[in-house]
Amino acid sequence: MNDMRHAKSLIFIGSNPPEAHPVSMQHILHAKEKNNAPIIVVDPRRTKLAAKADEYVRIRPGTDAAFMLGLINVIVAKGWEDKEFIRTRVSGYEEMLEVAKKYTPEEVEDITGIPAEQTYKVAEMLAKNRPTSLTWCMGGTQHTIGSSITRTFCILQLVLGNMGKSGGGTNIFRGHDNVQGATDMCILSHSLPAYYGLSDGAWKHWCRVWDVDYDWMVGRFKSKEWMNKKGFTLSRWFDGVLEGEDKIHNGGTSVKALIQWGCGSNSNSRFHDVKKAYNKLDLLVVVDPFPTSAAALCETDNVYILPAASQYETQGSVSSSSRQIQWRYKVVEPVYDSKDDYDIMKEFVTRLGFADQYYKNIKQVPEDITRELGSGSLTIGYNGQTPERIKKHMENWHTFDIDTLQAKGGACDGEYYGMPWPCWTEEHPGTPILYDISKPVNEGGLPFRNRFGDVATYAMSGRVENQLAAKGTCNPRSVVQGGYSEFKEVVPGTNWKTDLSQKTIKEALSKGMAPFGNARARCIVWTFPDQIPIHREPLHSPRPDIVERYPTYKDKADHYRVDTRYESEQAKNNDIVKNFPYTLTTGRQVEHMGAGAETRSNKYLCELQPEMYAEINPKLANDLGIRDGGMVTVESPEGGKIKCKALVTERVDETTIFLPYHFAGSWEGESYADQYPEGNEPWAVGDSGNVITNYGYDIITQIQATKDGLCKISKA
Amino acid sequence: MARSKIRKSSKSSVMNTGRRVTLNPKLARRSFLKISAATAALTGVAMTTKLTKKAHAAGKTTPYEGSKTVRTICTYCAVGCGIEAEVHNGVWVRQEVAADHPVSRGAHCCKGAGAIDMVTSPKRMKKPMKRVNGKWKAISWDTAMTEITDKLKDIREKNGPDALHFNGSAKVSNEMAYQIRKFAAFWGSNNVDHQARI
Repeated sequence: MNDMRHAKSLIFIGSNPPEAHPVSMQHILHAKEKNNAPIIVVDPRRTKLAAKADEYVRIRPGTDAAFMLGLINVIVAKGWEDKEFIRTRVSGYEEMLEVAKKYTPEEVEDITGIPAEQTYKVAEMLAKNRPTSLTWCMGGTQHTIGSSITRTFCILQLVLGNMGKSGGGTNIFRGHDNVQGATDMCILSHSLPAYYGLSDGAWKHWCRVWDVDYDWMVGRFKSKEWMNKKGFTLSRWFDGVLEGEDKIHNGGTSVKALIQWGCGSNSNSRFHDVKKAYNKLDLLVVVDPFPTSAAALCETDNVYILPAASQYETQGSVSSSSRQIQWRYKVVEPVYDSKDDYDIMKEFVTRLGFADQYYKNIKQVPEDITRELGSGSLTIGYNGQTPERIKKHMENWHTFDIDTLQAKGGACDGEYYGMPWPCWTEEHPGTPILYDISKPVNEGGLPFRNRFGDVATYAMSGRVENQLAAKGTCNPRSVVQGGYSEFKEVVPGTNWKTDLSQKTIKEALSKGMAPFGNARARCIVWTFPDQIPIHREPLHSPRPDIVERYPTYKDKADHYRVDTRYESEQAKNNDIVKNFPYTLTTGRQVEHMGAGAETRSNKYLCELQPEMYAEINPKLANDLGIRDGGMVTVESPEGGKIKCKALVTERVDETTIFLPYHFAGSWEGESYADQYPEGNEPWAVGDSGNVITNYGYDIITQIQATKDGLCKISKA
Repeated sequence: MARSKIRKSSKSSVMNTGRRVTLNPKLARRSFLKISAATAALTGVAMTTKLTKKAHAAGKTTPYEGSKTVRTICTYCAVGCGIEAEVHNGVWVRQEVAADHPVSRGAHCCKGAGAIDMVTSPKRMKKPMKRVNGKWKAISWDTAMTEITDKLKDIREKNGPDALHFNGSAKVSNEMAYQIRKFAAFWGSNNVDHQARI
């Protein structure tokens, strides 16, 4: 985040830091004031950040990829691309360009609603103010094509040569405080910790780290094939409850039990279906400092709430959006009869009978866990940040320079704050900027990773291309002057990821080289349905006239254990815009967080932001007879319905309705606060915005499409 | 006033002339940079004035006798702001911004300014609870854990390990996040996920 101080221009797409990441604004505004860096905000809504922007670009939700490809098109047509960067560090460029050429500024205007001259203007601003820092958040990801949209952001930065540079790069501001760390540790149904995946090799690696027998582990599963198969996701688990065991792919059973641990529920789309699922479960266990709406909405006798201590009553490391690892010290002991997470987990593990295997390496909690996870998480270099080093950084945080985040003198001299991963060894300073070849690897530099082979043949063009970086392109002091493959067979039968002795990593570093090789960043992903990202219309499109040109994907069976509709959903709803004429988009308020269980239990924050509302444009409000502060009903095509106040504002245009998604505690305007345990009901209740968000999931990640659905609104 | 002038001047210089216009043309470039840096810092603070005041309602006074200060990290968003917590007799009595934290540099948003409320809020769950005939009833940890794990064992026996789904958390430490993923593995299912998915 501090590195944004070096940006010469900043573009934010689907990101609104004054609400979602307020303290980052001091660095963003520093770039604006000190470097005269123009701020460009691309958003369907004129946000608080847009108020600070030099250029506000109003975009139709879900069309970001088209805009990015349009920018690339203009940049290349004008000759503003970074030719040397592309020649030495990028692959699949020619093929990508063929696709981008179709997105002329005029075509982009038709798709996105952005005037063609504004696309030219933004392209020029980016080209003439390098490096650009590009930031996205959920506004870029929560679409059926979210995985394509985010790739276009990266490709734009490659074309401009802004990757791996101070003041440049793609900065994905993470939402919750430790979403980076929880992702790195892979509380994800498609991977074991540190992105090892679910292959046999991954399981064997982690069994070695855990010091348990691989065959014992296989015996824990229904059968071996279920170890390799992705599980349900947070966005669709409830369909695993509701759809019936014959319609899902879960080994002949539906989901009967749910543990919901530190996870609010009303951040799920199609929340009215989620509510049905809670009531169909045989067992629901909510583990949280505050009762979530899940506990209140489950009216059966199958629900328990376990009082977890807050994170200030326990300790451990957390990873910020900038990959800095900080030690969150315990402030006080758990209050009331609450227990901390580690103790609650110990209750589960012990009573379920696998404590001996589970805690084999773990005596001191949490430090021994830090050591165990570090010893196995070699893919992302989580091994150099020992508990002792992390704590030392906390004690010396005042010694780090605000501009570079490098310690000047003192106990951490030369290290980067929080040792951003990869931190390859216990002597490594951390990597503050990914893929930066201006510095030696030993001093925090890094090339692009060699992950997808040394050479590739592209199906679309028949072209064969070397995937390694060009000759002469490498970090200073690299023994190999140019691209090179990942390190393997230093210890026979292993590679840099699986050699637990870490000799391979040390061998690479001794040569000034990165353990994972030095390759090119790809514009083509040959395993994705869209090998080069393109625009596709949302499933519920407000533009049926262009659906034929930009259709969605084929339906996808067994997508994380549930069949997922694309083509059939879009075809069925071809004229849906007649009845649901407004695009629905959602977002955050600075006063609340996530599903709001914590912040709506804070009376000061509730005093500031006590009520649910729907933002509506004045012209639309007047046409529909809706008054500012009057009650409205908002409805989804799937039958979801909420009642809330109208906030009449120019922030949204005449075709868009915006809802904050933090509220719960009332349903169609009726409070269910009495369903919370007495005395624990939140200070502020409201209808949940996610009751209205539509069906739709990303083709790769299955992230929910909450930003580009449709709705209708009327006076209540 | 001064702020809007500075902003206007920086904008005009980037878009048109490239020449910096300062409040006072006689000011050296260096002084201008100082002013604009201060302005940037102020803007961050100004956004939070309303709540910073509240957090400081008790006023910054001398520490409680025998109290200690604990450095910790805010639990709201992923900026990772520092917090200085004053603890007296095992009770978190006051919080202060961490003026020398390298990322937050003494800034807080309204949520972080009220971080202490995570512990002091009267809305905190105080005992394990279960629903009995539709009404919430407080129970002991031992009863809760016995009943829950017995049910889990039954479900595992009857329907297999994939009948459980575990929604974990982006609000826990790395160590706990790792333990949640490890728990799912040892339980015998990949039905485990968290907020990064959405």
